[in-house]
Parts: sequence; structure tokens; C-alpha cells
Amino acid sequence: MSNWKHLSVSGGIIVLLILVPLIFTRTDILTFFFLTLLYITLSQSWNILGGYTGQINLGHAAFFGAGALAARYIWLHFGLPLPLAILGGGLAATIFAMIIGFPAFRLRGIYFVIGTLVLAEILRLVFYTILPRADVMPMRLLGAYSLIPRYYLSLLIALLTVAAVYWISRSRLGLGLMSIREDEDAAEASGVDTQRYKLLAFAISTFLTGLAGGIYAYYSAAFRAGGLFEPVWTFDAVIIVFVGGVGTILGPVIGSVFFVLLKQFLSLYLPGGIHVAVFGVLFIIVVLFLPGGLVELITRFRKRTSGGSIQIDS
Amino acid sequence: MILEVKNLLKAFGGLVAIRDLNLAVNEGEIVGLIGPNGSGKTTLFNLISGVLKPDKGEIRFNEIDITGLKPHKVCQGGIARTFQLTKPFMQMTTLQNVMIGRTYGSEPVRSMRQAEGECERILEFVGLGGKRLSLVATFGLVDRKRVEIARALATKPRLLLLDETMAGLNPSEMEDALRLVKAIGDSGITLIVVEHVMKVILDISSRLMVLNYGEIIAEGTPQEVVRDEKVVEAYLGE
Amino acid sequence: MTFGLVAQTFVNGINIGAMYGLIAVGLSLTFGVMKILNVAHGEFLMVGGYMAFWLFTLFDIDPLLGLPLIGIALFLLGAICYKLLFSGLARFHEETKVKNTLLVSFGLFLIFPQVARWLWTGDERAITPVYSGESFPILGVRCGYVPLAGLLVAVVVILALHLLLTKTYFGKSIRATTENWKSAKLMGINVDRTYLITFALGAALAGLAGVLVGMTQSVAPDMGMQWTLKALIVLVLAGIGSIGGAFFAGLILGVVEAVSANLPYIGPYTVALGLVIFLLILMLRPQGLFGKEG
Repeated sequence: MSNWKHLSVSGGIIVLLILVPLIFTRTDILTFFFLTLLYITLSQSWNILGGYTGQINLGHAAFFGAGALAARYIWLHFGLPLPLAILGGGLAATIFAMIIGFPAFRLRGIYFVIGTLVLAEILRLVFYTILPRADVMPMRLLGAYSLIPRYYLSLLIALLTVAAVYWISRSRLGLGLMSIREDEDAAEASGVDTQRYKLLAFAISTFLTGLAGGIYAYYSAAFRAGGLFEPVWTFDAVIIVFVGGVGTILGPVIGSVFFVLLKQFLSLYLPGGIHVAVFGVLFIIVVLFLPGGLVELITRFRKRTSGGSIQIDS
Repeated sequence: MILEVKNLLKAFGGLVAIRDLNLAVNEGEIVGLIGPNGSGKTTLFNLISGVLKPDKGEIRFNEIDITGLKPHKVCQGGIARTFQLTKPFMQMTTLQNVMIGRTYGSEPVRSMRQAEGECERILEFVGLGGKRLSLVATFGLVDRKRVEIARALATKPRLLLLDETMAGLNPSEMEDALRLVKAIGDSGITLIVVEHVMKVILDISSRLMVLNYGEIIAEGTPQEVVRDEKVVEAYLGE
Repeated sequence: MTFGLVAQTFVNGINIGAMYGLIAVGLSLTFGVMKILNVAHGEFLMVGGYMAFWLFTLFDIDPLLGLPLIGIALFLLGAICYKLLFSGLARFHEETKVKNTLLVSFGLFLIFPQVARWLWTGDERAITPVYSGESFPILGVRCGYVPLAGLLVAVVVILALHLLLTKTYFGKSIRATTENWKSAKLMGINVDRTYLITFALGAALAGLAGVLVGMTQSVAPDMGMQWTLKALIVLVLAGIGSIGGAFFAGLILGVVEAVSANLPYIGPYTVALGLVIFLLILMLRPQGLFGKEG
């Protein structure tokens, strides 16, 4: 596809998404759109580090939770304006990321995986203990609660995240990140400061995750602090990225839509929770047989039907 | 003098890989480095390029001490290398591979468009002009080696370390590679070349060094070195 | 604290630590030998626990007598998982292998708890043979029969594993494969089979630990990840790949947790504290307490 066609298709989709709250007034449908957009941010931000830079973060929930909790406190408990609170959420997530990132990235391989997994678990346990009570929005806010501003905020941040990845994938930064994913020795030998760029990717990734957390803090009427750090936030993001197409721009977007739809569909026919097992099977199939995920499947299908030339979207 | 190595020592546990090694390379030379398997050639490359830190000694490049610098600093300073077992970026295009060298190496270019233009010329130079948008994972050994050399050239090195570029090539591919290495030398880049194929190394080197058990046992023009008794012994004595 | 309480805490800690050791040794084995970081390792423990529960409630088989059966069953389960999912990834070069096997095990981790919930419901189950509550006093410390048996089982299993690794041909082939699988292959060692058996052995060890957990605590579908984390902590404490160290690090973690659970203020944070210590060690001494200087 040419750039113009890309641009007009993307523009069309954005316009449609802006119109969504005017077309659909049912809460459940708007919530569905809201969640899909939130998942796009959550998974696309994971993709920056996991897909482009090749560093598997199994503690994504830590940064989502840190962002959500910080934003909630800044907004509700300290009474500062919402945009400031959401930005604060992003920063809080990045601070945690740097604390774990500095030591873990000094070592290659699995140390980062283990470190992030454990960090999320520590935060989950600590916050269930020190903040055991549910954090409920005050009545004055609940009375005036509307999904529409939450939806638009979620749309804004999702667009921001996708745009960030689009820019990264076409920039010098993206080249550096991908070189780390492919081979760290060769990246160093080509002049890439691997430690620094891993940290940078981690910072960008967690900042965007923190923003997603901030939106969740604005959206959720009541939650328990520990629940923000539940591993499911990590797992959903990882599943979406791989099933959609790891290391691509469209992967997390397609993956999020697919994930939310299939989850909804499965919950109609299967006992609760089984959808996770279905996604587990899908996930393994993708890792073993379809490393490009749905994006690759669509490309193959298009190639077969149109007989067009091979095209590499990077 | 572009490269000067003084009293370099590197041991792995009890095994001394590089033993009190001294060497000097002048600008514009093509230095051949030979020696039996395990004599320390790749270790020496790893020490110069910063992958390994020496236990003792000093490495000076352009009169500047670069001992113990990280590999990316060494590369940005103007020393590039290739790997014995090639390490191109597999899931990226040829052009992207080379772009990384151009945008991160020494004299890096920040503008992607400018870098792209320069990289296309480098790809033409190594003979990959027609494959700029192919994934490297689809390439055979010859093209992977070309990608790696192109990536190293794109970092704009003043000194290039080539580690067994000819290994695994058939005679006609070797001819091409030989021409390429000579052309690189002609463009003014200083080269240190590790190679097992004697015919090749004698042909391209302006000076030859022989490494055995981590020490340089002979040095001189190719003609002098092959007549040296210690060298004959090192190669045939075992 | 009185002497009695200190001693009691210590004994409790050793008992739990034995299970930590058992599960960590399995994880250490699979990572040390073939660089598979199996985040579904705790799931094998969960399955082992449920199988013991089944044997006990359906067939009236004492869980301690059922240990060999469960060991074999989990060995087979591990072998099947390895053959179907991991064996194809073994030939990749190391970085890709580490990443892809990690991802596959992550997929398994998503599947196992849900299947368990479907088979056994979400209720917590405990295996309670008649002697389960009984104990005898030594020097004023009450020592339960079940925890004592658990400790004995763990020690015997670890010793057997140690003998297997140091005294048998299979042990040699494991160590050779760990050093360098390519050379091992050239020397005529069947690397694929060595990997298969190692992975299955790791699953079996986790399964045995599961029986002990089921007897001293309880089993639930979601318990796997908690135990995987424990095993990871022990692994990093001990130094990755150090099998003897893993068992001792397990005991240390058990005792530290038991002591800290009894301390004022810190008590509720015991588990989190263990994780924090773990993170600190990861930052300051990544080769572990028993590992060689890196």
C-alpha cells in the first residue's frame, strides 16, 4: 500500500473512533471500545520493549499498577488536575522501571525476566497488605460519572502510543532497538550503546504503560490497590502482542480487538476462566508455528489472494 | 602509527590466551594475522574491540588509550570488526543492517534519508545493491558475510578487523571476497585480517604476523615469514 | 522469644524449606542443563498435589505410598510436554532458545491452572491421612509426623538425584551436555534423550514436592506461580545451575521466612520481604550465594 492509502485508512479509522460515543450510547458497547483501546496501549507499550528490543518483561503489571495508583492518589487524594495525575502515573512507572532496569540490564538473558516478574509480585503483595481496603470514588464523582470522557482519553493515549511506535519503527532509535533484539554483540560492535538503549526502551515502554494505568485509575469506580498489580495485566499484554504479531505496529492493535472479541465470545459458551487456557493454546501455537502472529497470517492470505509482490512492513 | 598494543595480557582461569603481546600497525597497512587454532587470534580481536578487558597492558588507537572501553565506544572511535561466526541482524533488511552502522558508528549520520543514500552506495560497493530490501535471514553464507562487512564499513572505520572472512567460501567466491578486501584497503582503511587460507593471506597482506600460544613469534613480509623456522615448526610441529 | 518458640520456628522453617529445595532443584536442573526457564514449573507441583489428592480420596492410597506413582506420572507428563513443545526449539542458538522456551512455558502456565480448575474446581484441597495432625515432642519442640516425613522424602530424593548425577553414565551425559551440547553430541551422547529425561526429571521433582505441599498445606489451581517464584528466588540465591546449592538455599529461605513471620511489624510482609532480598541479591551478587565468582 502507498503512504497515502495508509494515511487515509488510518485517518478514516480515527474519525470513526471519534464518532463512536455518538453512534453507540449503550454502556456495555462503549465499555468494550474503551477496554480495547486500553489494551492497545497496554500491549503496544509492551511491544516497544518485548517486540522491538527483544527484552521479555514479565512484570508489566508492576508499571501499570504503579501508574494507576500514583495517578489515583494525585488526582483523588491530593486533588490535583487529572492530566497532571495521568502524567504522574507515567512518571511513577518509569521511576520503578529504572530502579529494576539498571541492575537487571547489566546482565544479559533471563535476569531481566526474573527481575520484572518478581518486582510485580512484590508490589502486589505489599499493596494488598498496606492498602487492604477498596479505593472507592467519592459520591460526588460517581454521581456525575460518564464513560465518554474516559473513552476519549483512552483513545487519545492509544493513538499516542501507536504513533510513538510508528515513529520509533522508522527512526534511528528503532534501528538501534531492533539491533539489540537481533544480536547484542553485533549491536555493540556497530556502535550501539546496548545498555543505554535498553534502558531508554524500558523507560518509554513503562511511561506509556503508566499512562494506561492512569486512565484506569480515572475509569475504575472502585479497586483494591493490590489488584492493580495482578499478573493478568502482564499476561493479557503478552498474549495480545504475540497473537497479534510481535514487533509490528499493527500486531498489538489487531491483537487487542481479537482478544477482547474472542474473550467476550468464549465467555458466552465456556465456564469462566477457560478463555485463558484457549489463549494459552493460541499463544503456544503462535510461538511455535506462526511467529508473526495474525499480522503474518493476514499478509500471507492477502499475498495468496492478490498474488501481489512480497512486501516487508517494518 | 594507528594502533599500538603494549604488554597485553589476558588469561581465562589458568589458561593464558594472550601473553605479553606487543604490536604496532601503521596507517594504510593490510596486516595479516595467522596462527594455529587456539593461538589467540580471535581473543586479540576481542581485546582490541572491547568485548574482553585485558588483565594487563595497553591498547592505543590514534595515540589515544582505548584500553577497557566498551565495544560501542571502540566502534564509535573508529575501529570496526566482523565476527568469525557471522552475526548479521537476521530479521532485518540488508539496508537496515547497514543503516545501523551508519547511524551509530563513528561520524554517525542522524538524518535517516542521508544515511540511506550513503548506505546504498556501500551496498553497491560490497555487491548487495540488488538486495537492499531482502531479509538477511533468507541469505546464504556469502551474502551474510557481505552484509557484515557492509555494516562494518558503514561505521566509517579507520581500522577494520576482519575475522576469517574467507572461511567456508568456494574458490570463485573467495576471488570475489579477495577483490573486496583489496578494494577496502585501497579506499584507505587500515586492515587487520585473520585468515586460515594461506594463499589468500600471502596475496593481500603487506605485512604478516604469526601468533602462537598468545605470543607473536614472527613478523615481516609474507616472503620472510613463510621461510621462518619457528613458523614452520608452529604449523607442522604438532 | 523463648527457646521453645525459636526452635519451633526453626523446625517449621526447615520443613517448608525442604519443599522449596525440592522444587528449586528441578528448576535449576532444567535451566542449568538446557537453558529452559520454565515458568510453568510450579504447575507440575500443582498437578502432583492434585494427583495425590485423587489417589487418596478415590483409591484410598496413602500419599506417601503414592509418591513413586506420582513421580512416574509427572515424569511422563514432563516428557510429553518436552517432546511436543520444547524439543523443536532445542536446535536454535542460545538467545533464541532461551526466549522461545520461556514463551512456550509461559503458554503452559496459562493453560494448566484453568484445566485444573475445570477438573478439580477452584476449591482448596488438602490431603489428610489419619496421622496428619499428629506430632511428637523433642526437647520441647513439637515435630509433626507429616512435615518430618516430608523432610525425609526431600533429603532422600535429593541424595538420589545427587548420586544419579555424579555416579551414573546418565549423570555424566547430563554434565557433558551442560558443558557443551555440540561436543557432547560429537562424543556420541544422545543429547535429545538427555534433554528429554532432564526435563521430565524436573517435572517429577516438582510433582513430588506437590504431594508434600498437599499434605502440609493445601493445593489450589492457581498455586503454581507462587511456587515458581519461590523456586526462582532459591535459584538466584543459590546461583543459577548450582543443584546442591539450590537445596540448601531452599532450606535457608524456609527458615528466614519462618523467623520473619514471627517478628512484629515485619510478619505480614514476610513473602514480600523474601522477594525484596531476592531482588537485592540479583542486583548485588547475581552469581548467587553458592555460585562461583562471575
